[in-house]
Amino acid sequence: MKFGVWKALARGVVLESVRRKDLWVVAILGFLIMAGAGMLGFFGLKGLETFAKDLAASVLGMFSTVMAVLVGSRVMPEEIKNRTLYPLLARPITRFDLLFGKFIGATWVTWIAFLLLAGLTSLALAMFQVPFEAVMGQYLIAKMLGLSVIVAVSMTLSVFMTASAAATMSFVLAFGSSMIIRALVMAYESSSPAFQVVFKFLNAILPQYGLFDLGSRAANGWGPVQAWVLGALAAYALVYSSAMLSIGWLKFRKQAI
Amino acid sequence: MTHAIECRDLVVRYRQKNGQFVEAVKGLTFSVEPGEVVGFLGPNGAGKSSTLKALMGFVEPLAGECSVFGLAAGSVEAKQRVGYLPEVALYYPFLTPFETLSLYGELQGLRGPTLKKEVSSLLDLIGLGHVMHKQNRTFSKGMLQRVGIAQSLLGSPDLLILDEVTSGLDPVGRKELRNLLKERQTAGATLFFSSHELAEVEMLCNRMLLIHKGQLIEERRIDALMEELRQYTLTYSGNASMVGLTDHLEAIRPGVVRAAFENKERLLEAVARVQAGSGTILDLVAREGSLEDYFVDTIARAA
Repeated sequence: MKFGVWKALARGVVLESVRRKDLWVVAILGFLIMAGAGMLGFFGLKGLETFAKDLAASVLGMFSTVMAVLVGSRVMPEEIKNRTLYPLLARPITRFDLLFGKFIGATWVTWIAFLLLAGLTSLALAMFQVPFEAVMGQYLIAKMLGLSVIVAVSMTLSVFMTASAAATMSFVLAFGSSMIIRALVMAYESSSPAFQVVFKFLNAILPQYGLFDLGSRAANGWGPVQAWVLGALAAYALVYSSAMLSIGWLKFRKQAI
Repeated sequence: MTHAIECRDLVVRYRQKNGQFVEAVKGLTFSVEPGEVVGFLGPNGAGKSSTLKALMGFVEPLAGECSVFGLAAGSVEAKQRVGYLPEVALYYPFLTPFETLSLYGELQGLRGPTLKKEVSSLLDLIGLGHVMHKQNRTFSKGMLQRVGIAQSLLGSPDLLILDEVTSGLDPVGRKELRNLLKERQTAGATLFFSSHELAEVEMLCNRMLLIHKGQLIEERRIDALMEELRQYTLTYSGNASMVGLTDHLEAIRPGVVRAAFENKERLLEAVARVQAGSGTILDLVAREGSLEDYFVDTIARAA
């Protein structure tokens, strides 16, 4: 195992991202959320805990998804465009090492951004005297797992298409997959056996981002999920991300650069 | 003996945006021996960078094979022994040269104090010691080229593959680079580089390979080539015959002739004939030949 190589590559991605001030955008967004929360508090919305938590989960989910898609879809194309790929691949590493190291780096950047935003959002919620509950912690863990899947999907798409096309496709999947899957489930019962096979296949290959969203549970105070649920989500994230990265690697390993 | 580089019947083909294929390298065969300094020359689009990319495993050859010290080109084992300078690269604009080289060094397998020491000494050597903690985006093209050269030297590789090595460097930088490369060669490294700077090739190389349209058209030792290109002129008075030595005779004034010779042996024979015929040698000039003219003429002949 080449932990040192992957860590070095990942650290490079994080350092570039910090210096490029990507995370500043997140911080600014966080402060806007806090300012918005302050305004709501000023206009007397105290006590609307469910609303505040739901809003916080939605805002967090949306911004972190945007961040995951943008970071994931540009990390590889930028290496090719700027030709920083050559000195990297001239080192005694494989293309898989490069892809995986970059994936870890992009995931770290997304997680840092998400946790930064989540920290500021928690502060904003604290202004409404909303306590930090165990389910909120589970929401963070599940969301982080989901973000790693989004990064893997975006990175894989970017190996096959341009960065902007990969980002567009990733956004469609990230914000539309739950809707598409719901439609597939609804149509399943009334479809012919042949179509049912197709629907099952589509359901299996589409990323199930909805599974990672414990926002409603956290907002409505339904209590924490059992530990095995998080274990299952982690396993799904691991398998799906691995499958995606493997597909990306199959294309990238022989690609002329 | 194992070659430092060996390419046999190498064919590199790219698919263009319009779907058509173009062969950048067409059956190229050559080898470089350990310790040699070989210049890889050719006009734009000749296939130099494609060959270097095939040597680094950046492109998969359509046919043929390349090896580095007997190891498959592009393999992790081969890359362990190679330092590579790409033709153009940006080197992470938001990182500093120290961070950039540290990253590459870690990928090379260097760690801890050894890595820090090597990075610092390389940056000092390449003249970037005083700006090693400034971000790359603030650097000029020449300074970025120095960062590139430094990264190629990380880990003291046995083979340096350098694409357009002097690109962006000023005359002082070129001289420093030349000295640095000579030191590396003295230390036993093999150098294989592409360049448009024929003067650099002449000063650095033992041998040169000239390619055109993806094919090798000339392979020469530099010292022999320069000797061949050197022109000798003899100005003399008297009636000495130059038959069999040269046809290039010019009467510059009555009784005085200027003769040009292709090599030193003919010139010495001519001097002997002038002296034997009681003539007087008025002037004798040895003029270095132009590698540029040779390059242009050879490409024109091959076109």
